[in-house]
Amino acid sequence: MKRFITILIVLAVILVGFLIAGPFYIINEGDQAVVVRLGQIVEVRREAGLYLKTPFLDDVVIFPKRVMSWDGEPQRIPTKENQFIWVDTTARWRISDPKKFYESITFMEAAYGRLDDVIDSAVRTVIADNWLRETVRNSNLIIQRPGTTENFEVGGEADAGQLSAFTRSDVTYEPVQKGRRALAQEILTLARQLTPEYGMELIDVVPRQIKYSDELTQSVYNRMIKERNQIAQAFRSFGEGKKAEWLGKLDNEKRSLLSASYEKSEVIKGTADAQATSIYARSYSKDPDFFDFWRGLESYRSTLSKFDKTLSTDLDYFKYLYSPRGR
Amino acid sequence: MRNATPPHLPRWAKPATMGLVVLGILALVFLSTSFYIVDQTEEAVITRFGRYLTTTGPGMHYKLPFGIDKHYPVKTRVVQTEQFGFRTIKSGINTVYSNETFPEESTMLTGDLNIVDVEWIIQYRIVDPRAWLFNVKEKTNTLRDVSRSIINMLVGDRTILDVIGPERTNIEVEGTKLMNETFNKYGLGIEVIAVKLQNIVPPKGVQEAFEDVNKAIQDMNRLINEGKEAYNAEIPKAQGQAAQQIQVAQGYATERINKANGDVARFNSVYEEYRKAPDVTRKRLYYEMIEAVFQNQSGTTLIDRRFQNFLPMKNLDATGGKE
Repeated sequence: MKRFITILIVLAVILVGFLIAGPFYIINEGDQAVVVRLGQIVEVRREAGLYLKTPFLDDVVIFPKRVMSWDGEPQRIPTKENQFIWVDTTARWRISDPKKFYESITFMEAAYGRLDDVIDSAVRTVIADNWLRETVRNSNLIIQRPGTTENFEVGGEADAGQLSAFTRSDVTYEPVQKGRRALAQEILTLARQLTPEYGMELIDVVPRQIKYSDELTQSVYNRMIKERNQIAQAFRSFGEGKKAEWLGKLDNEKRSLLSASYEKSEVIKGTADAQATSIYARSYSKDPDFFDFWRGLESYRSTLSKFDKTLSTDLDYFKYLYSPRGR
Repeated sequence: MRNATPPHLPRWAKPATMGLVVLGILALVFLSTSFYIVDQTEEAVITRFGRYLTTTGPGMHYKLPFGIDKHYPVKTRVVQTEQFGFRTIKSGINTVYSNETFPEESTMLTGDLNIVDVEWIIQYRIVDPRAWLFNVKEKTNTLRDVSRSIINMLVGDRTILDVIGPERTNIEVEGTKLMNETFNKYGLGIEVIAVKLQNIVPPKGVQEAFEDVNKAIQDMNRLINEGKEAYNAEIPKAQGQAAQQIQVAQGYATERINKANGDVARFNSVYEEYRKAPDVTRKRLYYEMIEAVFQNQSGTTLIDRRFQNFLPMKNLDATGGKE
C-alpha cells in the first residue's frame, strides 16, 4: 500500500515536471509561431492547435497572424507646388513569413520601427512628387458635378436669378490625373518593395488626414473669409439697390399720379368754362343793350353796398328831388 | 513504520478526507469550466487547444473543462457606434456631449481646397464573430482609421458647399459602401450599417464670415422691405389725392355750367317780359336795384349837385360807411 502511494507520488512528480518542461504548446487562433531549437529555426507553425516540442531544447516564439495597424506620426511634406501639408498615414500589415520575420526583425517593436522608415519615406516621395489636388481629391467628380454653385435661401423679396449673378463664383478645377486612391496605391507599391524581405506584408497604406500647415491654414482662412464677405456684400448692396429702386418708383409714380390728375382737372375745368361761356354768349347776344343794363344792375347789387358812399344828387335817381317832373 | 498515519493527526488531515477535498475542488473546477452561458445578444466562439472549433448561439452549453475548450462571447446582435470629431459623455434623455473638440479627426480639406469640420458616426454590427476575434488585431483602431480615411477622401472630392449641403447623403451612402468593401478585404467580420454625418461646419476662424452671409440676406430683405414701406406709405395716399383733385374739378365744372344755365334762364325770363314793355321794366329794375343797395344802410352822404367846391367832411373814424 505504502509502496503504491510512493510510486504514485513519484509518477505525479514526473508528470508535473514533464508538463512544466512543456512538451506541449498551444497556438491560439490568430497567432503563429516559430520553434527555435538551440538558436535554429526548426519549425514554422501557421495553424492554431496543440503541438509537441522537445522539452528544454525548443523555444516557441509566438507572433500574431492577424492584420495589424501601423499608425505613423503626421508628417509635414511639401507638395509639388511647394505647399506644405500635414499628412497622417496609417497602414495595415501582417507577418506573412514568420521565419524571415524572426530572422530579420525578431521583435515586434523593431517591426514598427522598420515600417516607420519604409512607409514614411514612401509617403514623402509620392506626396512631394504630385500636385496638392492629386492628394486631396480622388476623382474629377467636382468637375463633372454640375450645379456646384451656391443656392441661398433668399426669401420671397429678392429675385434669386438676378442675385446669383453676383454671388456665383465660377471656378474651374484642374482635372486630377491620379487621385488619392491611386497615390495611396503608389505609396503602397513603393513601400512594398522592401517589406517581403522582412517577412512582412503591407496590406494597405491610407492617408487618414490631410491638412494645411499652420501658416497655410491662416491664409486659407483669410481667403475663405474674403469669399464670404464678397457674397455678403453682394446681398447687402443688392438690398440697397432694391430699396433705391423702390424709392425711385415711389417718386416717379407720385409725380405722374399727381400731375396726371392736375392735367385732367384743368381740362375738366376748361371745358366747363368754355361751355358756360357759350351758354352766356348765346343768351346775352340776343340784346346786348339790355344785357349791359341787366348785368350792370346785378353788379351794383353785389358791389355797391361795400363802398363808403358819398352820393351826389346828380344821380338820375334823385331827379325828383328838385322837381316833380324830374329835372 | 507501522504507524504511517499517526493517530494524533486531526480528522480533516486524514488522507481519505484530503482526497475528498481535492476531488471536491476538482469537481468544482470541472463544473465551472465546462458550462457556459451565451446571452441572447451574443454568440460564442469555441476554441479547442487554441484552434477554432465552433460558434454557438444563446443558451447554456457544455464544453471540455480545464481550459481545453475556451469560449469567447461576442456581441453580434448589438449595433455598435463609433463617434468621430465629438464624444458623448453620457447618453440619456438629455445627452451630454464633451465640450472638447477633436480637430485631428474632424478637420478636412475639401476638393476646392477649403477647410471644413466634419463630425460623423458609424454604426456597425459584428456579423462574423470568428473573423472579428482572430483576423485583425487592433480592431477599433482599424475601424476608426479606415472610417476616417474614407470620409476624408469623400470630402476631398467635393466642394465645401456641397459637403455642407446637398452632398451629405451621397457621402453617407458611398462611405458605407467603401467602408464595407475595405473591412471585407481585411476580414474584419463586421458590417457597417450606416454612416451618419453630424455637424458639418466651416472651421472656427471663418464661421463668423459664413454667418455674416446669412445676416446679409436678412439685411437685404430688410432694405427691400424698407423701400416697399416708403412706397406703400406714399403711393396710395397720392392716388387718393389725385382722385380728389379730379373730383374737385368735376364739381367746379358742374357748378360752372349749372350757374351759367341758371343765370341765363333768369336773364331770358326777364328779357321776355322786358321786350313787352322795355321802358317801364328798365326803370323798375333800376329802382329795385337802388332800393336793394341802400335799403339797410345809413351813413351815406348825399350832396346837392349845385354846391360847388364842396369838400365833404368825413368822420374818418366812423364805422357807419362800412358794413
